[in-house]
Amino acid sequence: MVLDVNQRILVFLLVSIGLITLPHINHMPMTVFSFFSLLLIWRFVCVWKTNYLPNKIIILLLVIVAVVLLYTQHKGFLGRDAGTNLFVTALGLKLLEIKKERDLYLISYLAFIVASTQFLYQQSILMAGYILFVCCVLIATLVSINSQKAATVSALKTATLIIFQALPISIVLFVLFPRVEAPRWMLFNHQNTAISGLSDSLEPGSISRLGLSDELVFRVKFAGKIPPPNQRYWRGPVFSWTNGKRWTESKNLFFKKNQHKVTYTGESYQYTLMMEPQDKRWVFALDMPSLYPDSVTKNALYQLINKDNPGKRAAYKITSFSQYNTGDITKTERKDNLQLPSDPSEKIIHLVTQLQGFEAPAERFIQSVLSHFKNENFYYTLTPPLMEENPIETFLFDTRYGFCSHYATAFVYLMRVAGLPARVVAGYQGGEHNKVGGFLEVRQANAHAWAEVWLKNKGWTRFDPTAAIAPERVEQDVNIDLQIATGLVNFSPANINVSRALSWMKSAKQLWSGIDYSWQRWVINYSTVNQSKFLSSLGINNISSMVQWLVASIALITCILAWTIFKTRQTKIAEELILYQRYCKKLARAGVYKKAGETAINFSIRVQHLRPDIAEEVKKITAIYIRLRYEQNLAKEDFILLKNKVASFKA
Amino acid sequence: MSLSLKQRFHRSRFIKGEKATDKSITLSHRRIFILPTQRGLGFVILITLLLLIAFVYNNNMVYLLAFILASVFFVTILHSFKSLAGLVLTQGHSQAVFSGEAAGFDIVINNPNNVQRFNLQASLDRTVNFTLVEQEKKSITLYAVTQQRGWHNIDTVTLSSTYPLGLFRAWSPLRFAAKTLVYPKPNIEEIPFPETEVDQAQEQSPTLANKKTKGSDDFYGLKEYQAGDPIKHIHWKAFAKGQGLFSKQYGGESLVELWLNYDQTPGNNDEQRLSQLCRWVIDAENAGLLYGFTIPGVKLEPGYGKAHYEKCLQALALF
Repeated sequence: MVLDVNQRILVFLLVSIGLITLPHINHMPMTVFSFFSLLLIWRFVCVWKTNYLPNKIIILLLVIVAVVLLYTQHKGFLGRDAGTNLFVTALGLKLLEIKKERDLYLISYLAFIVASTQFLYQQSILMAGYILFVCCVLIATLVSINSQKAATVSALKTATLIIFQALPISIVLFVLFPRVEAPRWMLFNHQNTAISGLSDSLEPGSISRLGLSDELVFRVKFAGKIPPPNQRYWRGPVFSWTNGKRWTESKNLFFKKNQHKVTYTGESYQYTLMMEPQDKRWVFALDMPSLYPDSVTKNALYQLINKDNPGKRAAYKITSFSQYNTGDITKTERKDNLQLPSDPSEKIIHLVTQLQGFEAPAERFIQSVLSHFKNENFYYTLTPPLMEENPIETFLFDTRYGFCSHYATAFVYLMRVAGLPARVVAGYQGGEHNKVGGFLEVRQANAHAWAEVWLKNKGWTRFDPTAAIAPERVEQDVNIDLQIATGLVNFSPANINVSRALSWMKSAKQLWSGIDYSWQRWVINYSTVNQSKFLSSLGINNISSMVQWLVASIALITCILAWTIFKTRQTKIAEELILYQRYCKKLARAGVYKKAGETAINFSIRVQHLRPDIAEEVKKITAIYIRLRYEQNLAKEDFILLKNKVASFKA
Repeated sequence: MSLSLKQRFHRSRFIKGEKATDKSITLSHRRIFILPTQRGLGFVILITLLLLIAFVYNNNMVYLLAFILASVFFVTILHSFKSLAGLVLTQGHSQAVFSGEAAGFDIVINNPNNVQRFNLQASLDRTVNFTLVEQEKKSITLYAVTQQRGWHNIDTVTLSSTYPLGLFRAWSPLRFAAKTLVYPKPNIEEIPFPETEVDQAQEQSPTLANKKTKGSDDFYGLKEYQAGDPIKHIHWKAFAKGQGLFSKQYGGESLVELWLNYDQTPGNNDEQRLSQLCRWVIDAENAGLLYGFTIPGVKLEPGYGKAHYEKCLQALALF
């Protein structure tokens, strides 16, 4: 059957396909996307100008172009990116060849697959909502294919209704359908689209502008108490080796076996750390982690390292202590953390001497260095001048403008000159408390660097030289709101005029974050482990009870659905119809039957011929009935009139 | 009427329908059957593919999408049922036809509910598409090709719908006790009317003998139209002028009396003779002649008009 493909259906289909592929613009190669757009626009024009449709030879050429395009882009067709491009291109090509109703279906099905590939890139709640909407439009297309006259709006309504009716069962399926992790060989390698976080080296002198991104790095939900802002140091990579400009992690971490055991004291914090996808294996635990899951390890620098794929969201249960003693230092560690690129200059020696670095006890020296930062004209800025040659000296003596990395590296340098083992620790500091979700949010803007000095009897001890800068010397364009919330810059509260105007925006933002957090926690991260945990809390422990629950709940929902769907059938028959039927029954008793398919008027004419004696009544009753039944403005008097007439009618 | 278990699962019930009835049939779960269409099976493949993608990439959102589509598939079954349930079908009139023509059966479909029925398909030999709005009653005519004269019983009427998504087809095979009369196929060859034997006619009605002069159909006046006058004799010009309906009267009109006799009809066999007789009946009626009719077992006095005509044809059909 050659279907006369209705233009309206085509427009419907093409619009929904446009909507589905639109978000792919972010991650498809420009050439492939433009190729697809070209095909789509071509088909759109052809809705009205059918003679512009390509013939078989042109389609063949287009297919060849598509194959070449795809192959040059990806060197294959497997994998996420290549597969997505393949499906999108196939969809575009198929659009030019719609001959039968079957083709429309094939296109819709392809469109559903393209919609699903969207989730391989982004799983946010917004994207989910968008895709759900687009699926609604697609299903509406199917509805209009299958209803001869359904208008756009009613097709959309029907589709929305069907999707809403489908939601309860799909949620049950989502919860109860067993999640099995795919075997490794099935996982295609794909580039990480993870956010770029901290880098594995530090080079403060080469940065002239520090971007503060609002991007989320991780969330933390505390089981009990939340540490005060000045304790919220999230430990990342530790940099000990430097060439004077660049700071990196020391290559040799084998000294771990010689390290002393850390003794923990002070407050303990238990929390769940939910990491966003990362491009590195670092897990930013609160300083200092003591208990952590098996999926991570703690290296010799007390940093937690993820054993698995970092490109995914992951949650870790960790316990950290605010006070700790790392004990003695190993030989390697001492050597690494006293390393200097070259002999210090006269100026440096002079400064260290001036700050009593060579004679006073370590703690005194540290305090005097911090006071030096505070009392001298050191400024905090996110846009420091470039310091390409000798950055530490330039910073300490000339420019005196910098951000956390400048202060931390300069501080560590001075410590090492004075013979104290010291190193730079990078990570995040602070975190915004989300009241709605009850968790801390740590963003890229919270990135921070601080210093650690090894002290006798205390072990590695944290010092944050950035915190020592006088508040009045913090540059104006620093985002106060952000900085305060993160505790990056510790002003005295009196100095800050918290902008109240922004507070409602902030709470809206927090509300949204709360929703997003729950979405991630309950929907996106609903993995094998989470599922079995959740289900066993409901008392579902094995597959057979899972299946029983699945069948039972689907049966229950189906009953409810069937009831809601079919109950509309038992609508009351219009009152005038009942009255009219009563009148017909009276006539039937007198031997005058209304034929099937006979209209009320024809019947009345026939009755008037057959029974002239009751002609007048029949005429009246029929007139009132027709008025009530087919005219819009219903009059109450007419009802009563009809009722009385029928009651008194005698055939 | 309830069905035994054996009857319930008898194969013919799903294709041919239950026993024929002349009452109206209300579609319920007993008469409505639902199976996925080819497109529906394609949809299942789509869901499987999505589940595979979700599995390989361990992606919960793709899982969710696959589950939503699976539920949509499931929910559509209910909607398919709803597209037919509650409809009331009643057999209507059927018109007699000549053999070889398509016989039309009227079926009245009543939608007593407040839901629209989109894209219903009723099929006998061919398929008719229609839509019913809320509480609409519609009469549709289904055609079946006839091949033999006599009574023709209506075959199974299948009412179906693929609404809303085309993934499922709900259908209901229905058998009505309706039958229609099929007249013999009129002979195509033009053979002149048989000469009426004067003697025979005279013997039968001697008073009319003097009127039997052929060809004396001279127009002699108009009379007011009476029901039963041949349409050909209506004075259309006068009618067009708004003067009312008049019949033209011809001098020899009532004099022509034709006897169509089976025994005198040329033909090699019964069917050919019946076919020829049929042709003559049609021609005589069209010419506005008085014609009598005899076939073995039936004798009809000369007459004209629709009722007489149909009586003759019926006699031929049931010979």
